[in-house]
Amino acid sequence: MKFFRKSDIIIIAVLLVGSVLGWFIYQAVFKKQAAKAEIYYYSELAKTIELDTGAEKIFSISQDPHVIFHLYPDGSIRFEESDCPDKICINAGKLQMAGQNAACLPNGIVLKIVPKGKAREEDLDIIVR
Amino acid sequence: MVRKWFACLVIIVMMMNTAACGVQKKARYEAEFLILFNTITRIVAYANSKEEFSEYSQLIYDELKVYHELYDIYNDYEGINNIKTINDHAGIKPIQVDQKIIDMLLFSKEQYILTKGRVNIAFGAVLKIWHKYRTEGVEDFENAKLPPMERLLEANQHTDIDKIIINEAESTVFLSDPDMSLDVGAIAKGYAAQRVAEKVREAGLRSGVISVGGNVCTIGRKPDGNKPWNVGVQNPNKEEGSANLMTLNLTDLSLVTSGNYERYYTVNGERYHHIIDTATLMPSEYFTSVTIICQDSGLADALSTAVFNMPFEEGEALINSMEGAEAVWIMHDGSFKYSKDFKALIKT
Repeated sequence: MKFFRKSDIIIIAVLLVGSVLGWFIYQAVFKKQAAKAEIYYYSELAKTIELDTGAEKIFSISQDPHVIFHLYPDGSIRFEESDCPDKICINAGKLQMAGQNAACLPNGIVLKIVPKGKAREEDLDIIVR
Repeated sequence: MVRKWFACLVIIVMMMNTAACGVQKKARYEAEFLILFNTITRIVAYANSKEEFSEYSQLIYDELKVYHELYDIYNDYEGINNIKTINDHAGIKPIQVDQKIIDMLLFSKEQYILTKGRVNIAFGAVLKIWHKYRTEGVEDFENAKLPPMERLLEANQHTDIDKIIINEAESTVFLSDPDMSLDVGAIAKGYAAQRVAEKVREAGLRSGVISVGGNVCTIGRKPDGNKPWNVGVQNPNKEEGSANLMTLNLTDLSLVTSGNYERYYTVNGERYHHIIDTATLMPSEYFTSVTIICQDSGLADALSTAVFNMPFEEGEALINSMEGAEAVWIMHDGSFKYSKDFKALIKT
């Protein structure tokens, strides 16, 4: 008696191929959506920042040099400094997921995280904290 | 002062994607504006065209602006009697006001009773003192001070909600104590958001989310796949990252969060936030945040402040006694506590 039959091998092969395919499909569906940050100055898009470059930088937009942003290597970004009275923009902390936003109202600046590609059903529509 | 170029409707319209919905194709649009209720208003909606979406967002803006002016406690507007007008005439004379003010004040009185005074719109005298010390303390942080308790206690003598005299027949409001003042900050935004959401729904919007500074109202479901809205609640104790995020599935529900991490100032290394406990006259120390979900955003707003101001057991009993209201408490150690059926709202 043979240890393996031909049909057993086929079943094992099908299972193997199936699970590998399944893993790739899972990865494709649930992979974290790449995001970018947009900075608006009084409703005008002032700057777009790629979040997944691994770079760290501290910068401002030309329209308002008193408001300083900080991009971290882990892909998060925040209001670092601002000359506004309430500092609510700074208190908002680091942002990195599509759907998050923070604003400095006295300076008319909005920092928002948007998906890099098309919005998907499972993306967050709004984030509160 | 609102600058002229700022006053014009500030809208960021972005077409995000097109989604098939049966025969009719609805696309997803987003808009934001900055000036109303001193916060950021965000709209996400599905519409047949950019024009249709612009009509909805214009309607939302226009309506919200009416409420913004009526419920303002800091600024005067030409030809409008608002909450500031009522405050300015405390102990002097009744002021004739729009029905939208009367309705909101009556609603607020109901919430006062429901929450046993944990949210009180007549608390202005005390909140004013904290506001002054906080504003000065943020600007000049080296000299930041706490308000003296004697001053708070004295002001607390003038917070009797029954001294708001509302005459519905005459459409007037009178504060019979000259030293009292209204502060509708804990209710007005959510109340206005709800009224505006109802208005835009009547106008035909079937699928949208309006967030007025975190007072979130969801309308219907998303047409792609008839899915509920995904609303993320972030744990403010932790920095960032999806692990610290809870995603909720909301359909025709409102969500409001009260937390200690947005508006605050620091005195001698200690943080003092802006939600003042009506019992202790000090910032409430029970939780990091409380999020309420129920149908009416005005109710959610009032409850979030009230429940933030009470011990967990008391808030839990209150929320569990209310049909259709759920809550999540984020504790100082970063852990969560949930009301009875809250977990059914968490996206799996």
